[in-house]
Amino acid sequence: MKFSVFQLSRIGGRAMNEDRMGYCYTRESGLFVLADGMGGHPEGEVAAQIALDTISALYQKQAEPLVVDPAQFLADAVLAAHRRIVRYASQKGMLDTPRTTLVAAVVQGASVTWLHCGDSRLYLVRDGQLLLRTRDHSFLEQDRPGLSEIEPVNRNILFTCLGSNSRPTFDIAGPIALKQGDKLMLCSDGLWGSLDDAEIVRELSTESVSNSVPTLVDRALLVGGKHSDNVTVLAMDWESPDVFASTRSIAADSAMDGAFAPTLQADFFNSQADDLDEAMIERSIAEINAAIRRSAAKKSSAA
Amino acid sequence: MSKAKPSPLPPDTVIGGYRVVRKLSAGGFGVVYLGVDSEGQQFAIKEYLPSSLASRAAGELLPQVMPEKLSLYRLGLKSFFEEGRSLAQISHSSVVSVLNFFRENETVYMVMNYLEGGTLQDFIMTARDLKKPKVFRESTIRSLFDEILRGLRIVHQHKMLHLDIKPANIFITDDNRAVMIDFGAAREVLSKEGNFIRPMYTPGFAAPEMYRRDSSMGPWTDIYAIGACIYACMQGYPPNDAPQRLEKDRLSLALSRLRGVYSDNLIEVVEWCMSLDALVRPQSVFALQKELSRESARRYTKLSVSERVRLQFDNVVSDTKKTVRKVSIPGSRLK
Repeated sequence: MKFSVFQLSRIGGRAMNEDRMGYCYTRESGLFVLADGMGGHPEGEVAAQIALDTISALYQKQAEPLVVDPAQFLADAVLAAHRRIVRYASQKGMLDTPRTTLVAAVVQGASVTWLHCGDSRLYLVRDGQLLLRTRDHSFLEQDRPGLSEIEPVNRNILFTCLGSNSRPTFDIAGPIALKQGDKLMLCSDGLWGSLDDAEIVRELSTESVSNSVPTLVDRALLVGGKHSDNVTVLAMDWESPDVFASTRSIAADSAMDGAFAPTLQADFFNSQADDLDEAMIERSIAEINAAIRRSAAKKSSAA
Repeated sequence: MSKAKPSPLPPDTVIGGYRVVRKLSAGGFGVVYLGVDSEGQQFAIKEYLPSSLASRAAGELLPQVMPEKLSLYRLGLKSFFEEGRSLAQISHSSVVSVLNFFRENETVYMVMNYLEGGTLQDFIMTARDLKKPKVFRESTIRSLFDEILRGLRIVHQHKMLHLDIKPANIFITDDNRAVMIDFGAAREVLSKEGNFIRPMYTPGFAAPEMYRRDSSMGPWTDIYAIGACIYACMQGYPPNDAPQRLEKDRLSLALSRLRGVYSDNLIEVVEWCMSLDALVRPQSVFALQKELSRESARRYTKLSVSERVRLQFDNVVSDTKKTVRKVSIPGSRLK
């Protein structure tokens, strides 16, 4: 199985990044997960983290190296995550439960199966065209008979998520066979809320994910402006044709395109790829100069 | 992408207490200047200014980062810090030392000791053009790599890998020291379980595991590159790159051409270092040092008749290839 993956999450204009993302894989199977903790309820980031932890733990238990039935796995996993969030809330005696959206995909046997709940999306782009994307569980995106009569209603409101009092509604689709060069992207509403599908598809089609993802995220942040939502994107190139392309520029190289490990790296990316702010730059420089002084001291004492 | 390369700072600009004398080199990451401090001491100052992400008009001090490239710019900055962090911990005569790190002009600068001399690549190309059967003498190769391996051992002891060892990154100073430079790809990876890798590599010198995305790298990855550097010192050209070799490995054949010119032992060392299977290579610098310093009587085995016939046939096939490669050697890290 060959693919290259890139993920990036930026906080935007919000006080907190409530998005979580990650992937893990075995030799023959890969799991990609993204969760967007919901505002308006407490501890959205905790709900998102619990969802990721639960699903990746289940995956790591079951993928040996294939998951027997990806659709069944996803259905079980989402409910397990939902139950853990509810349990967390009740253990803490919370008046309201933390909530999160979820989109997760299992890639194995050269095809993809996915699940989504809420308005975090999956896009599949092939040959420069949008092959498919998930329909959000919002009144805007789902023409449910009967629901449209209850006007006026904020059509962006989600009618399902993980962590609420009612059992989550979710959709599972696939398996769809992947073709060479396909791009699979999971994103939070921070991305699609600012950029339209045409633009997303165009950008994904023209460059490798290690270049297109940062570009998309930056554009969404620009459009979102001062109050931009968290923007999180996790995308992969299926059997990227340029696996053996020679070298990359230093910037693309540092973009961790080759980040691959048999563990979920959400924490790694959230803590490190996230905003390198002024304080962190200053701290890095101070650390380096301290190390230089230490080495110099060692050298002179040894001499 | 970018239209023009960002302009370097003009001579006599003062940054962080150093006066810029001139630009020494420029790469994808930024610019290296020769600078002097108030006491007249010379330094090499590396400025973070990735040409694909930032621009700077002539005569300006502050770079402009393209807004849509800001994420990449920051990620690049992180790896610039990584390089500083790696180098700051190591103090060894065969490893370029970083002396200061500062922030100015809305970017960052790394101050290193200024080396006078040339890269091993320059030396190989000069020697090659003499068209002698030997590019370098065997004793030269052995002592050169003994020195480099001492430095590399320290690097590995600090749980770091260089990951971009090649003749262009080995500097030979005018006072005859070998110094490893450009730790831009160096990563503290030994402590993590193959946690993440960066696919930056130079064809010919990069081990097969650097092309794959699933495998773990280790000292053996740098050792492959050392083997390739020794190969380049013997042949005058870099070896075929790993993907080519995986398809059809002509390394033994190419090395057999050097039999009788270089000792069997040195040829075997190169083949050992450059084993496609990482597990077959020397697993530590120490193991390689031991083999390389084991200089008993050198044995030279001449080619047999059948081997010579095979070589001649091979020459016909590979002649065209060679001319192509010749052109592409300088700056073989494509950007």
